[in-house]
Amino acid sequence: MDYFSHSWLPYMYLYGIGGIFFFSGVYIVWKTGAIDLNQPHHRTWMKVFFLGYAWFMIVHGLFTILALQ
Amino acid sequence: MENFHNIGTSTDWIVMVTYFLAIMLFGTYFGRYTKNTSDFFFGGRRFSWWLITMSIVATGVGSHSFVKYSAKGFEHGFSSSMTYLNDWFFIPFFMFGWLPIIVYSKVRSIPEYFEKRFNPSARFLATILLLFYMIGYIGIGFLTLGKAVIPLLPESFYIFGNIIEITLMRAIIVIAIITGIYITFGGQTAVIFTDLLQGFILLFAGFLLFILGISYVGGGQEFWDLLPLSWKLPLADFNKPSSFNFVGIFWQDAVAGSIGFLFMNQGLLMRFMACKSVNEGRKAATINILFVLPLSAIVVGNAGWLGKAMSVMDPSIVSPSTSPDEIFVVVASIVTSPGIFGFIMAALTAALMSTVDTLINATAAIFVNDVYRPIMKYAKKVYTDDKQKDKEELFAARITSMVITAAGVLSVLAFIQFPTVYEAHGYFHSTLTPPLVVAIFMGVFWKKFTAAGVITTFLGGVVLMILGARFPEVFISPFDHGIEMNPDRPYSYIRAFYNLIVCVGVGVFVTMTTFIQHYIVSVIKKNNNSSTIMLIVSLIASISFLLVIVGSSSFQFIFPIFIIVLVPIIVTYYGKYDEELSTKGLTVYSINEAKQGFKGSKLNEKYGEKVEVKLQLSNHNEDEIMCSKNDLLKLGAAVGDLVYLSDKRKWLGGLKSIHSRFGKSHNEDGIVYLNKDQIDHGLFENDKMLIAEKEM
Repeated sequence: MDYFSHSWLPYMYLYGIGGIFFFSGVYIVWKTGAIDLNQPHHRTWMKVFFLGYAWFMIVHGLFTILALQ
Repeated sequence: MENFHNIGTSTDWIVMVTYFLAIMLFGTYFGRYTKNTSDFFFGGRRFSWWLITMSIVATGVGSHSFVKYSAKGFEHGFSSSMTYLNDWFFIPFFMFGWLPIIVYSKVRSIPEYFEKRFNPSARFLATILLLFYMIGYIGIGFLTLGKAVIPLLPESFYIFGNIIEITLMRAIIVIAIITGIYITFGGQTAVIFTDLLQGFILLFAGFLLFILGISYVGGGQEFWDLLPLSWKLPLADFNKPSSFNFVGIFWQDAVAGSIGFLFMNQGLLMRFMACKSVNEGRKAATINILFVLPLSAIVVGNAGWLGKAMSVMDPSIVSPSTSPDEIFVVVASIVTSPGIFGFIMAALTAALMSTVDTLINATAAIFVNDVYRPIMKYAKKVYTDDKQKDKEELFAARITSMVITAAGVLSVLAFIQFPTVYEAHGYFHSTLTPPLVVAIFMGVFWKKFTAAGVITTFLGGVVLMILGARFPEVFISPFDHGIEMNPDRPYSYIRAFYNLIVCVGVGVFVTMTTFIQHYIVSVIKKNNNSSTIMLIVSLIASISFLLVIVGSSSFQFIFPIFIIVLVPIIVTYYGKYDEELSTKGLTVYSINEAKQGFKGSKLNEKYGEKVEVKLQLSNHNEDEIMCSKNDLLKLGAAVGDLVYLSDKRKWLGGLKSIHSRFGKSHNEDGIVYLNKDQIDHGLFENDKMLIAEKEM
C-alpha cells in the first residue's frame, strides 16, 4: 500500500505552508525592528526560533521513518 | 457503538471526592491573595516563567482534553498528536508582536485593543464575537467533562422513591455548579496555583497510565508491533476521511487554532500577562510549546493508542466498537487497580475543570472591562474612591462568573449533535475564530489596516462565512483539497481555510480601496442631503446583513457585496480614524514606542545585574522604592526606572513580589525602603531577603 499521502505529503505541506507563515513571521519581526539583533538576548531568541522549527521537523520526520520501516 | 456505565469502585469514588476537596481547599487558600480586580484577573503581573508554564499545562491539556485525543488516538493512532505539535509557526509573531503590544499598551482585554487601535465600534463587535467564542469554548469544556464522567455513573438512581435518570445534560449541570464555586470566590491567583498543582499531577497521571498500559500489553516492542502501520504515522492522511484528515486539521488547528490559541484566547493571554515581564512570558510560551505540549500529546492520546493495541491483541478486552469518546475511561479502568483509577479520573476531570474555570475567569474579565465599565462610564457613575470602585467591579466579576457558567451550560446544546468532542471542537474553531483572528493579526502586523477594514472584516466576513455554511458545495468546495463532503457535517475542518480566505480578502479589499471610500464620502459630504443619503446607505447595509442572517431571500448571494461596499463608506463617514495616532505603540512597527509609553519616560537599555536587598519600612506615600546609589549602579538603573522586587526564595515563583519605580537614592548599601502598602501588597516578610531587578 502506498502511504505517501499519509506520510511525506502531509509532512511537506506542514513544513512548506507552515514554513511560509513561520519565516514570514521571523522576517517581519526582524524587518520592523521588533527583534533587535544588536541585543544579545534577542539574538538568542532568534536562534531559539530556528532550533524550535528544526526540532518539530526532526520529531515528525523521525516518527515517519520509524513507522514506515 | 458500545456505551458504558458504572465503571469504577467505591474506593475510586472516595479517591476522587478527596482529590476534589483537596484541590478546592488549595484554590481557596491562594484566593486570599486576591485583593483587587488586577489580582483577580491578572494575578498582579508577578509570576516567574516556570510557574506560568506549569499552570498552562492544565489549561492546555484540559482544553484539548483526554477525551477527544484518546478518541482520535483510538480511531487513527499517533496522528492524534498533530494539534499539540503545530503551534510553532506563529511563535515569532506572538513573542515579538502581540505579547509585547498587549503588555505595554496596558490593555486588559482583546476588545480594548480594538478600541485603541481602531474605534469603539470595532471594540463593540469584537466583544460580541469574543463572548460568543469564549462561551462556546466553555460549552465544549462542559460537554467533555460530561462525557468523561458519564461512564463512571449509574444509568439512574433512586431518591425518595423516584427514579432519577442520569443524562449527559444533568451531569453537566451538577459539574457546572461545582466548577463555578471556587472560580467565583478565588480569582486568577487561585486558578494559577490550582493549575500549577494540577499540571504536575496531570503529567504524572498520564505517564502512569501509559507505563501501566505498556506493561499490560507486554512491553514497548509488543505495543509498537500491535499497532497497524497507519496508526504509527505521526500525521493523518492528507485528505481522507472527512472526519479526520491532515489538510483540514492543518487549516483548522495549525493556522486558525494556533493563532486563536496564542492571540485571542483571553484565558491564556491573561496567564502570559500574569508573568513578571514580557521576557518571562516569552520563556513560558517557548518551554510550553517546545517541550510541554509534546509531552502533553502523549499524556492525552496514549489511552487511545493503548486501546487500539488492546483491541488488536484481544477484541474481548477492548471491543473495536467501543465509543471513541469513552475509550479513555475504558482503558484506564482495565490497566489500573481500584484507587489508582479513581486518581487518574480525578486528575482528568480536575484538569478539564481548570480549563473551564480559566475561561470563565477570562470571560468575566472581558465582560467587566468591555461591557460593565463602558456602561458605568456612560451612566456617569461616581465612586467615592478607587477602593469602592474596585470592590464593586470585583462583585460584578463574581456575579458575571456565575452567569457565564450558566451560559456555558446552555451552549452545550449546540455541540451535543456531533459524534465526538473532537469534531464539535473542530467545527467550533473553524467557524468562530477566523474573523477575530484575521482582525487581530492584520491590526498588529499591517499598519495600513483601517477601522473601515476591520469592521467590514467582522461584518462582511461573517456574512460570507454564513453563506459558506449554507452552501458549502458552492463556496467551500473550491478550497476542499479533495476532501469528500459529508452532507451531515460538511467540511468540519477545511471550512476554516475558506473562512480565513474570505475574512482576509474582505480586510485587504477594503483597506486597499480606502482612497475610493474617502472620495465617495467627500462627494456625499458636499451634497446638501448627505444625512439622508447616509441614512439610506445604512438602511440598505443593515437590511442586507439581516437578510443574509435570516437566509429568507433568494438574492442572498448579492447582499454580501452591498455590505462590503457600503459598510466602509458608513464607517468612513461617521468615524474618525488617524493612522498615525491609532497605530502608535499598537503595531509591530512601534514596539519601542509602546515600551516607552508603558514606562512613561525615556527607556534605559543599560544592562545591569540583580541585587540582593533587605527591606526597611519607610513612611513615604509615593509608589516608589529607595535603593542605595551603589545598588542603582549595579542594577544599571536610574531614578524613575521600573523595578521588580521579589522574595529571594525562587520556588515561590514571584508570589511575593511587587512592581514599582526607583525613587531617590540613599547611601545604605543592601537596604531598600518600602512603605506599608508595598510590603502588604508584596506579601513580604521582614526577615527575608529580597531581590531587586530593573524592569526597564
